[in-house]
Amino acid sequence: MIQRLTLRILILGMMWIGLSLLKLDAGMSRLLWQAAIFTVIVLLGSLMEQLLHYQGDPYILPVVQAIMALGLVFVVRINPDVALHQFWWANIGQLLFYAVLWSIRDYRYFGRFRYIWGLLAVGLLLITLLFGSEEGGATSSFKIGGIGLQPEEFVKLALLLFMASYLEENEELLRVGTVQWGRFSLPDWRTLRPFMIMIAFVLGILAAQKSLGTALVFYMLFVLMLYVVTERVLYLGISMPIFLLTGTVGYMLFRHVRVRVSVWLNPWQDPTGMGYQIAQSLFAIGGGKILGTGLGNGIGAAMVPVAVSDFIFSVIAEELGFAGAMAVLVLFLIVVMRAFAISLRAKDRFGQILAAGIGILLGTETLIILAGVTKLLPLTGIPLPWVSYGGSSLIVHFILLGVLLNISNATAVSSHSTKNRRREYAT
Amino acid sequence: MRGVRQVALGMAFSFFILSLGLVYWQVVQADTLLENPSNRRLILMENRVTRGGIYDRNGEIIAQTQIQEGKKVRVYPKGEMFEPALGYSSVKLGASGLEGSLADWLLGIKNATPTQAVQQLFALPRQGDDVVLTLNSRLQSIAYNALKGKMGAVVALDPRTGEVLAMASQPSFNPTNLDKNWNEIISQEEKRPLGEKQRPLEHRYFSLFPPGSTMKVVTSAALLRSGINTTDLYQCQGSTIINGQVIREQNDKAHGWVNYNMALAESCNTYFATFGVQAGDQAFLSAVKGFGFGEKIPFELNVPMSSITQATKNPTSLNTNLLAASTFGQGEVLVSPFHMALMTAGIANHGVIMTPHLVERVLDPSQDVLYEQKPQPWLTALSKEEADKITSAMVTAVTEGTAAPGALPNVQVAGKTGSAEPGGNVLTHAWYIAFAPAEEPQIAVAVIVENGGTGGGNAAPIARQIIQEALNQKVGDKK
Repeated sequence: MIQRLTLRILILGMMWIGLSLLKLDAGMSRLLWQAAIFTVIVLLGSLMEQLLHYQGDPYILPVVQAIMALGLVFVVRINPDVALHQFWWANIGQLLFYAVLWSIRDYRYFGRFRYIWGLLAVGLLLITLLFGSEEGGATSSFKIGGIGLQPEEFVKLALLLFMASYLEENEELLRVGTVQWGRFSLPDWRTLRPFMIMIAFVLGILAAQKSLGTALVFYMLFVLMLYVVTERVLYLGISMPIFLLTGTVGYMLFRHVRVRVSVWLNPWQDPTGMGYQIAQSLFAIGGGKILGTGLGNGIGAAMVPVAVSDFIFSVIAEELGFAGAMAVLVLFLIVVMRAFAISLRAKDRFGQILAAGIGILLGTETLIILAGVTKLLPLTGIPLPWVSYGGSSLIVHFILLGVLLNISNATAVSSHSTKNRRREYAT
Repeated sequence: MRGVRQVALGMAFSFFILSLGLVYWQVVQADTLLENPSNRRLILMENRVTRGGIYDRNGEIIAQTQIQEGKKVRVYPKGEMFEPALGYSSVKLGASGLEGSLADWLLGIKNATPTQAVQQLFALPRQGDDVVLTLNSRLQSIAYNALKGKMGAVVALDPRTGEVLAMASQPSFNPTNLDKNWNEIISQEEKRPLGEKQRPLEHRYFSLFPPGSTMKVVTSAALLRSGINTTDLYQCQGSTIINGQVIREQNDKAHGWVNYNMALAESCNTYFATFGVQAGDQAFLSAVKGFGFGEKIPFELNVPMSSITQATKNPTSLNTNLLAASTFGQGEVLVSPFHMALMTAGIANHGVIMTPHLVERVLDPSQDVLYEQKPQPWLTALSKEEADKITSAMVTAVTEGTAAPGALPNVQVAGKTGSAEPGGNVLTHAWYIAFAPAEEPQIAVAVIVENGGTGGGNAAPIARQIIQEALNQKVGDKK
């Protein structure tokens, strides 16, 4: 109990120190009120865990809250005007997280609606494509009543649930394979068909939307989840040529893809034009050196385009330096690794697959955007979970977290009760 | 559950690769990125600081940042006078001179006060440090006005402390609105024909010239150490032949019977060549080394090294012909006027050359002293006896020799002229070095006027005006 509270107080303390270091105008008192509400939710939440005997993974939530606090401080630092919204979403997100954590009696219930999830995913994407507004070269946002929604974030949730339930049902078929093809045995077309259709559909729509980063995340999610369930290297082998083929087709079809790749190969050729984004990002990261310029001191916050969402990591790396950037990396690594640990311990197959899927999703998202801003991969704009500005992303990731910890808690409770029973036998 | 473990391992490995990427950009490539021309980080960082002011030793403003119509403007109330030593600093042109080399102080980065450190940490607008120079605006203005219209340089030092009192070079440029006028300055210079280039950006006090007869004060050290009797007489016949090389006097004038004092006063080439060769190349080379040839001069600005031969390093030996020419400052000898002033100051200060400096004090924004320069010896060029002998000869040069135009009423001035042949069919460079009062020197001066003719006629009067003003002011005792 003491430990749990101290950890939260430390995290909140860091957030408040960060906020107080930033020069806030007098008009920012509303922001501070939201920060206070955030504080109360974090503290009450940890109290509630105690009262309701939460027994799941003790590390993930504090780590995510630390990431969240860091993200909030940096959103305030980069653009105080939009930070108020970010605080709202963070607070709503946390409430949703606790709602998911405590209200779901049995997560296996979700597995029943698999085709509904699939249809929902496709439908959400279609709606955006038809009615969405263009933003930064990608048609990915959708306005309802003045609030911009990013349906692709909710697609992640729907798709993950679909994948998990589908893979659980068809695991044996996919694993063993029924059609012999030379030395390899492949699953028959009936089993694979919905799967292939989903891939084609999602990738096609995303390519049309020009939201390449999300397409990449989904593709990795498909392939890695398939591998986790079937443990057949064959699938990884097949995925590579498909990936290269899709990539080549995309490269030939879309100009913006060609630009992305050429800028990635040589950003210094035109650092003020096409290469501006990545050059500014690298300047910011490099400007941080080992210990950073100090919070609020960096130049990147003003120079890097879309600093508040896609490039927020570059700003963090500048102001907190290599030390801070590594800390962020490690925090994300802890969350991803704990998700896999939950997957390994889960008592039923659906929980295992779902938890692994969440781990894969979080890991891939983080890797793709961070590799993008550090020029390890071509830049594809996707939000950094819990850090980048954006309500949809925050809400979805908190729901995912709720599902993950629900699985963890359920596992712990069931094993606890089994242990107790055994003890009764012994005595 | 092998699959989950493998994917987890793959993820961890990818994170590791990512951290290597961070190491690459934040450690390995950090400085390269910072220097990339499209990276405006350094300039923008600097914009947050109000540059400190630059003042002369009496507190007169030389450079100051003022807010004009909400914008920071660097103003230079003295105009061209302190250029190019003062330099400039602009987003467009970069930085040079003191504005560049003192940037650490002016921006409050070096030895930041706790307040400045906190302001730096939290990116608050902050004030840099003020720098008080050792320069004296009155002397600088005399030097500047005397040189105006000529090409040349003046350096004045306090021989007791190494403080630089004046440092002028002409032609130069006006630092006000330099961003706007820059292209005009450059294009005007480019339009001039080759022989008439004005080189307005050149720091002429650091440019290397043949020293001509001013070199004889240095050669004197070798002569005195070789044990010649300064009262012995030598007959100057207007020219002499050493090792097959004809050594001529200026205008082939025969000085008749001269002793050491008269030889220096009349600037007799054959005397110094004959006895210099007699003393030998080792005595000469050790004397010039003692005066700082081939040595890096410690100073706030970069001074090129003076040299005896075309190699920058001092040679280990000299052949007789080159030695004979070097004794009176021809041959391959090259000296900067700044170094010449230092050597003069060394003779004035009884043989000890003090480390030269331009910064007297640095004051933080609340005017507390952050840094204060203390006098420090640099080299011991001469013993006190040697220095006294050379001084007495230099006094003779002013009272009855070539340096007569440098004489002042009621004060004993020690001086030496030089008319250096730059090579080619052009007028000689007019050199003059002097210090005063001879018995208790307060100021040492070196003047060069490029292609100015004789040192006595064209350089000495400039030095005389400066010395007069300095002694009237009693430089050193601060007003």
